[in-house]
Amino acid sequence: MTPRAGGAHASGGSASGGRASVLAWTSVGIAAVAFALTLVGVANGAPSGGWRFSLPWAPSLGIRLELGFDGLSALYALLASGIGLLVFAYGAAYLPRHLAHEDRPPSEARRFWPWMTLFMLAMIGLATAQDLIVLFVFFDITAVASYFLIGFDRHRVEARGSALMALLVTGVSAVALLIGAVLLQAVYGTTSLEALFRSAAPGPATTTAALLIAVAALAKSAQVPLHFWLPRAMAAPTPVSAYLHSAAMVAAGVLVIGRVHPLLALNPAVLDVLLVVGFASIAVGGLLALAQDELKQVLAYSTISQYGYVVVLYGIGGPDGAVAAALYVVAHAIAKSALFMTAGAVTESTGESRLSRLGGLARDLPTLAIASLVCAASLAALPLTLGFFKDELYFIAATSRGPVVTALAVLGAGLTVAYLGRFWLAIFVGPRRSPAAPLPVLLVAPVVVLGALSVIGGVAVDPFARLAEAAAAVTHGAPVHADPAYHLDARPANLMAVAAYALGALLLVVARLRPRIFAAVDGLGERLGPRRLYSGFLLALNRASDRAHRAEVRDLRTSLTAILVPTGALVALGFLATPTEGAYVIGPVVPADVPTIALLALAVVAAVTAATDRGRLRPVLALSVVGFSLAGVYAVMGAPDVALVALVVESVVTLIFVAVFERLPGTTVHRPAGAGAAPHRLRNVAAGVIAGASAFAVIWTALSRPPLGASDAADQIRRTPEAHGGDVVTVILADFRGLDTMVEITVLAVAILGVVSLLRRRETA
Amino acid sequence: MSPVIDVVAPRLLAPAIMLAAALIVKGYTDAGEGFSAGVIVALAVALRYVVLGQRRGDRSIRPARHAHVIAAVGLLIAIACGFGSTLIGEPPFTHLPLAGEPVVHVGTLELTTAVGFDVGLFMLVSGSLVMLVRHLTGLIEGDDVTDEPVAEEATADDAATADGAGR
Repeated sequence: MTPRAGGAHASGGSASGGRASVLAWTSVGIAAVAFALTLVGVANGAPSGGWRFSLPWAPSLGIRLELGFDGLSALYALLASGIGLLVFAYGAAYLPRHLAHEDRPPSEARRFWPWMTLFMLAMIGLATAQDLIVLFVFFDITAVASYFLIGFDRHRVEARGSALMALLVTGVSAVALLIGAVLLQAVYGTTSLEALFRSAAPGPATTTAALLIAVAALAKSAQVPLHFWLPRAMAAPTPVSAYLHSAAMVAAGVLVIGRVHPLLALNPAVLDVLLVVGFASIAVGGLLALAQDELKQVLAYSTISQYGYVVVLYGIGGPDGAVAAALYVVAHAIAKSALFMTAGAVTESTGESRLSRLGGLARDLPTLAIASLVCAASLAALPLTLGFFKDELYFIAATSRGPVVTALAVLGAGLTVAYLGRFWLAIFVGPRRSPAAPLPVLLVAPVVVLGALSVIGGVAVDPFARLAEAAAAVTHGAPVHADPAYHLDARPANLMAVAAYALGALLLVVARLRPRIFAAVDGLGERLGPRRLYSGFLLALNRASDRAHRAEVRDLRTSLTAILVPTGALVALGFLATPTEGAYVIGPVVPADVPTIALLALAVVAAVTAATDRGRLRPVLALSVVGFSLAGVYAVMGAPDVALVALVVESVVTLIFVAVFERLPGTTVHRPAGAGAAPHRLRNVAAGVIAGASAFAVIWTALSRPPLGASDAADQIRRTPEAHGGDVVTVILADFRGLDTMVEITVLAVAILGVVSLLRRRETA
Repeated sequence: MSPVIDVVAPRLLAPAIMLAAALIVKGYTDAGEGFSAGVIVALAVALRYVVLGQRRGDRSIRPARHAHVIAAVGLLIAIACGFGSTLIGEPPFTHLPLAGEPVVHVGTLELTTAVGFDVGLFMLVSGSLVMLVRHLTGLIEGDDVTDEPVAEEATADDAATADGAGR
C-alpha cells in the first residue's frame, strides 16, 4: 500500500466511496433487470417453446452461434440472476466493510463488480447455449472471471494461489470439453446439440467425447478427485463464495451435464462413472465437512458433497433422476448461498471465522439465526422446507437403482444432516464465546428472503416442481412428470428420510464427543489427497521451465544455439523427407564465374579467421571482410541494389563494433583455461556444424533448381514502367510489396526503440 | 583514432547527404532506394559520433538530438503514403496517381505516393540508426547527457519509471 493511496482514502474517501457504491448498485440493477427478463420469459411459457437465436458463426465447420431459452435455461438463468440479485445487494453492503477492514481504498470495488456482472451474464449465456462451442466459450468466461474474483484480495499470497488453482483445475479440464466437442464435430459434422441428439449413435468416439465433456463438468462442480480447488477458493470475499460456490460456478458443471445428458446416456457405463464419482464426492465432502473448523470451509466441503448428489442423480438418469437433479439444484442454491452469506455476516459481526470460537449468537442475532436455521433445515431435508422435496425425489430415484444405491443414498443424507446440524448449532447455540456487533440490514435481509423462499417452497412446492419438470424434460429428452408432496405413511421415501435423520443425529453426537475421528480423516485427506499431486506437478513444471530457461539464455552462445540448432535439425528433416533427384547438381565452371569464386574464397578465408583468431579486433574485421566480399558477389551476379544495401549495412556494423571495442579496457582476451571449457567448446562446434551444414544444403539445392517458368517476377518486370519506375527492386519494395516493407520497417522501429530504452535504463541507473 | 579519420569524419556528412538525396531521386529509375540512403546518412553521422563522442557530436550535429522525431515522422509519412489510397476506396499500397493518370514531373523524378513512401522509409531508417548510435556512444562515454532536450526526456523517463514502480 503506497502512502499516496492511503491519503486518498482518508481525504477523498467519501467521493470514491460514492463512485464505488454507484458501481455496486449498477450491478444490482443489471441483475434485477436480468431476473425480471428471465421471469417474463418463464411466465410467457418459454420452458415449453421459448425463443431461439441462431446465427452462422463458422459455417464451414457447422458451428452456429445458437442460443435458446428452454426449461433448463429457465431454471439456471433464474438461479443465476435471482440469487445474483440478492448476493449483489448483500455485496453492496459487504464489500465496503471488507475493504475498510483491509485498509484498502473503496475505489478497489471497480476490480470486483465488473467481474461479478460478467460472471452473471456468462452464467446466463451458458444456460442458454445450444451449441457445444458456444457452451465452451461461456464455460471459459466463467473460469476467467472466477480467477479475478477469487484472487480479489491479491495482496494475500493464498488468495493468488487459490485463484490460480481454480483457474488451472477448471480451465485445463475445460479443454477436455473442447476436445470432446471437436471429436463430435469430426464424427457428426456439427456441434449443435439439437442436431447431435438426433444423429449421435453409441460408439467409442461418442463415449470418449461424452467422458471428456463429463470430466470438464465434474471438475467445474468440484467433484472428487478434482474437488480440491473449491475449499481453497474460500479465500475469496464472502459474496463471491455465496454466488460462485453455491449457485453459479459449481452449478455450471452440473448444468453442462444436464444439457448434454442425452449424449452421456448413450452409453450406460458413462452414467455409472457419474454414479461412482458422485457417491465418492458425497462421502469425501461430507466426512471432511464434519472435520472443518472454519465456517466457509464447512460450507465448501458441503458444496462438494451436495453437488455429488446431483451428479449421482444424473448418473441414475431417467425421468426420476432428471427431475430430482433439477429440483435439488434449485433447493441447494437457495439454501447454500444463504448459509454462505450467514457465515460472512457472522464473521463481520464478531470478527471470528471459526466454529470453535463462536457460540450462542441466537440471542444477539435472532433474525439471522432463524433465517439460517430454515436454510440449514432445507439443505438437511427437514419437513416444511423446499429441501424436503428434493430429498423425496432423490430417494424415489435411488430406490429405482437397487439396494446398494438406496443404502448409499441414506448414508449420504445422514452425513448432510450431521454437518449442517453441527454448523448451525456451533454458531447460534451454546455459550457465547465472542461478542457480536449489530449488523446492517443489507447483510441480513438477503438471508431472510432466501429463508422465506425455502419455507414457501416447503408449503407450496408446485411452482418449483413445474420449473424442475421443464428442466428435466430437456435433460431427459421427453416430458417428465413429478409429484412431490407430503405423505403420512410408511412408503420407502419416508422411511429413508427418517433413517437419514436418525443417522445424522447419531453422527452429530459422535462428532461432538469424538471430534478426533473426523480430524484423522481430514489429516489422511491432507496427506493422500490430490492437492499434493497438483502442487507437486506445478512445482515440477516450474523447475523444468527454469531449467530450460537457464539452458537457453545463459549466454549469447546458448541463445544462438537455441535458434540455430532446431532450425538446422528441422531443415535437415525436411530435406530427408523430400526427393533429392536433381536437387544437388554440380554445374560447369565458366570463365565468367572466376570473380565470384575468388570473392567466395576470400569470404571462406575470412570466416575461418573470424572463428579461430583469438584477438579481439581481428575477428571483427574478418567478419566485415566476409560481409564485403558477399556484397561483391551480389554486385558481380547483377544485383546492385542488394550489393549497395549489404555494403552500407556492413559499414555501419563494423563502425559500431570498432567504436565499442576501442573503448574496452585491455587488448588481449583472457579465456579461463580449465576442464570446464572443453565440453562447451565441443557443443559450440557441434551447433555450428549442424547450422552450417543445413544452410549449405538449402543454398545448394536452391541454386541447383532452375527458376520456374512463369512467375511473379516476369509479371512484375513487365509492369514496372506502369508504376513510374525503372528499377524493379525499388518498385517491388515501395509499391508491389509495399505492405511487406511497411511491416518490416515497423519491426525495425520497434526493435530500435527497445534497444534505446534498454540503453537509457543503463544510463539512468 | 587516427588523424585521417579525425580529418575525414567531420567532412563526410555533407557528401553523404548529397549521395543519399541522389539515391532517393534516382532510386526509382536506378539502383538504390530509401533504405540505402538512410543507412548512408546514418553512417556519416555515426562516424562523427564515434570520433567526437556523444557530447561533442551532439554539439556538432544539432538535428541528431531530434532523431527520434525524424524517425517517427518518417513512419507516419510511410503509413500515410501506404494507406492513403484506402481513403478513395482502393486497396492499401495502390500508388497514387493511379496507373495511366498524369503525374507531376520534377526533372526525372515522377511524384507518386510510392516515392513519398520511400522518403518516409529514408527518414525512419536514418532517424532510428542515429538514435541508436547516439545512445551507444553515450553508453561508451559513460557521461551524462547534459543538453536540454535530452535532460527533459530523462526526467520524463524517470517519472515513468517511478510511476511504474509505484504501481
